Parts: sequence; structure tokens; C-alpha cells
Amino acid sequence: MNWRKLRTFVLTVLVLCLIPATRYYQIDEPVLRYLRGTREVDPLSLHLAGEFVENNLGTEQDADGSVTVRMIAQQYLFVPHCILVPAGVPVHLRITSADAVHALAFIGTEYNVKVLPGTISATRLEFSNPGEYKTVCREFCGAGHYAMRSELKVVPREQFPVLRAGERGNCAVQ
Amino acid sequence: MPSNSGYLSPWNLLRTAAVMFVTSSLLLVASDNAPERVPSYVSWSQQTLTAASAGDAFRGMLLAKRCDHCHGAEGFSAAGSTPNLAGMDKLAVWKQLEDFRSHKRTSRVMEPIAESLSPRDVSDVVAYYSKLPVFTDPEDNRSFPGVQPNPVHAGIASHLVSFGDGERGIPPCQSCHGPVAYRPGVPSLTTQNSEYFLDQLTAFANGKRANDINMPMRTISSLLTEGERQALAEYYGSGRGLQPGSSR
Repeated sequence: MNWRKLRTFVLTVLVLCLIPATRYYQIDEPVLRYLRGTREVDPLSLHLAGEFVENNLGTEQDADGSVTVRMIAQQYLFVPHCILVPAGVPVHLRITSADAVHALAFIGTEYNVKVLPGTISATRLEFSNPGEYKTVCREFCGAGHYAMRSELKVVPREQFPVLRAGERGNCAVQ
Repeated sequence: MPSNSGYLSPWNLLRTAAVMFVTSSLLLVASDNAPERVPSYVSWSQQTLTAASAGDAFRGMLLAKRCDHCHGAEGFSAAGSTPNLAGMDKLAVWKQLEDFRSHKRTSRVMEPIAESLSPRDVSDVVAYYSKLPVFTDPEDNRSFPGVQPNPVHAGIASHLVSFGDGERGIPPCQSCHGPVAYRPGVPSLTTQNSEYFLDQLTAFANGKRANDINMPMRTISSLLTEGERQALAEYYGSGRGLQPGSSR
């Protein structure tokens, strides 16, 4: 078999894949819907079932030492209102919107996550410096947009609480 | 096994695909293991909106004779601890009745009443109350509007109503509860009794009431101090909420 021909073929396919990849959210094909899998959610029924039910929001401890943070952005709040993560470990952020388009920006860091209703924005973040950070909405979302802010608390790894299975951490006032 | 071929060799591609498949299926399994706590079974889908707003207000008026005793013949209640329903958005009252029926919101009085109503009754009653006008009637026995708050309290409340508090992440009340903007299922606060208002805000803050979808009110009311909740109750209970808030 001619390896060079195969390599050219594979590279061409990969380059062609870039076109749908950049238009990812605009294409509505059953095949893509199947491939996207859990990326698609119904913004109106987040509270009924799925990974964004209220007791699943917050920080989850993963087996490999990293953490997963699940959040909902809505007019005009981020829930949970204060997120707690350990410093220096990968943070898998999974966030979705219940209504309009929002953008979650972490002030003092380079991160700015676009949040679209109907899709899950999944990103890997890492915060190396412990401290308290402000998070704001950077996409105009309505009358209360300018007050749509919340907090991120980064604590040293040894101060992060031990979370049991099914337990979710956050630092919101209760 | 070809160990020194390029990273695009079929073997490597196959292995990457296999790893991705296993990881994604593990993620799928892992994300489905938490038992769900559902705040309310209501979801504002198109069917729900249609069902909730298709009521017959005349039939609702006949049914609402049962509600008169507590909620007032004109939709303004005599007791401050009972909510006013006049002019209240259909979806807002509909959601509360549905939540009483499914015991997601608790009340010894309202749960049995909501259970006794059929889905049609519920949409008829809410259609009637949404049509009741908001006007002052000296003949009617009401607790609204209450006494005017002192200027300091009024200032604190007015600022929260119009601007919220950006530092603490508290959105302005009037961006959802009127008269500036509304969202589906959100009650208007402009003509609410201060006693009922404070009861509910406190219940949200300590988790006794937990039927708000995606927790907005539990979050906001626990961010507010006790004094601020009191000031807001006085503000709305005195009828000041009928005008959009200002910084004064």
C-alpha cells in the first residue's frame, strides 16, 4: 500500500473537517445531533432531569484528582453563585444557559467562556494562584445584565474539602 | 506493531478513536449517577404556556367565589399574610397552583385546595385574577397599600429594586418582577402585601420554600441581609413598586 497517498488522503479529510468544525453550532443534521450526544440540552427543563439538576451543580471531585464544575447561567445570575475549586488542578467546566446568551468571564485570569442556551460549553481551566476572583457576564443579556456577577474561590489543594460520591461543593451562602 | 511510522498511521488513528470512545462512554455513565432533586415539575415549554393561558375568565370568576374569603372579592386580601392576586400574571399564579398540587410548595391551606382543582379549573381561575384591575377602593377591606417606609429604608430598597448590587451579584428586582421587565412565571411584586412578601423572602433564604426553577430566589434572598429584606417588604407593601425604582 502506498503510505504517502494514504497520508495525503487523511490530511485532506482532516482539512475538510475544519469547515463543519468552525460552523459546529450552526449545522443541524441528525447525524451530528447523534454525535454531539450530551452536548445538547433543553434549556427549559434543566431542573427536571439530566446533569444540571440543582443538586448536581457545583464542584465534583473526579477520580483522577481533577474536578468538574457544573453551572447554570440565567437572567441574571450564575448558579451556584460562588464556586469553589482547588488550585493547580485541572477544572472541567460544564456550563449551560437557561435562557439567553451569556459569557462567563473570570476577572484576573485569561478565561472567558461563551454560554449558549441548548448547548453545554465544556472547557478545561486551571487556576494556579489561590484567592478570590470575581466572575462577570460579558455578553449583554437583558435588563439586569450589569449586576450579573458571581464569585470564584480558589483554595490551596489541602484546604479543599473532601467530597464524597454524589456530594457537590460550593461556597454560596446558605 | 509498527512502532516508528508517522503519527497519522492507521494504527494510531484507530487507537485514538478507541480511547475517545471509551472516555466518552465513561463520561456518559459518570454524569448520570446523581439522584435528582426537582424544585418544580413545571417547565415553560410551548404546551405549558398554551395550557396555562387558555383559561376562561368568566368560568374562573364563578370558581373564584371560593377564594374570596381569603384573597378578597377584588383580589386584594384583608390579611397581610395572604397574597394579593389582582392583576397577577396568569403564568405566575398557575405555576404556584401546580406546585401546591404536586407538593413542591407547601401550605396547609393551599395544598388541599389546589388538589381539588382540575387542570381546566386552574387555568380558568388564573385567567380571572389576571383580569382584575389594580385600583384603590376605600370601600374594600385590604391591607394594601401599607404604611410608607422611613426614607432610609426606602432608599436602600429603591436602590436594590432599580440597580441591585453589582458587588454582591444581586440583580435588580424590577428586571424580572416588574414594572420594567418580566420573565415567564415570575410574579409581579408591585401590589404585594409586605407581610406576605417578607415571609416568602425569608422562606427562600432559609430553604423552607424551594420551588424556584434553577434557584434564583433562594440564591438572591440568601445574599440579602435581614434589614434589606425588611426594607424591600416595606417598599413593595407601600405601593411604591408601582412606579419604576430610581436611585433617589
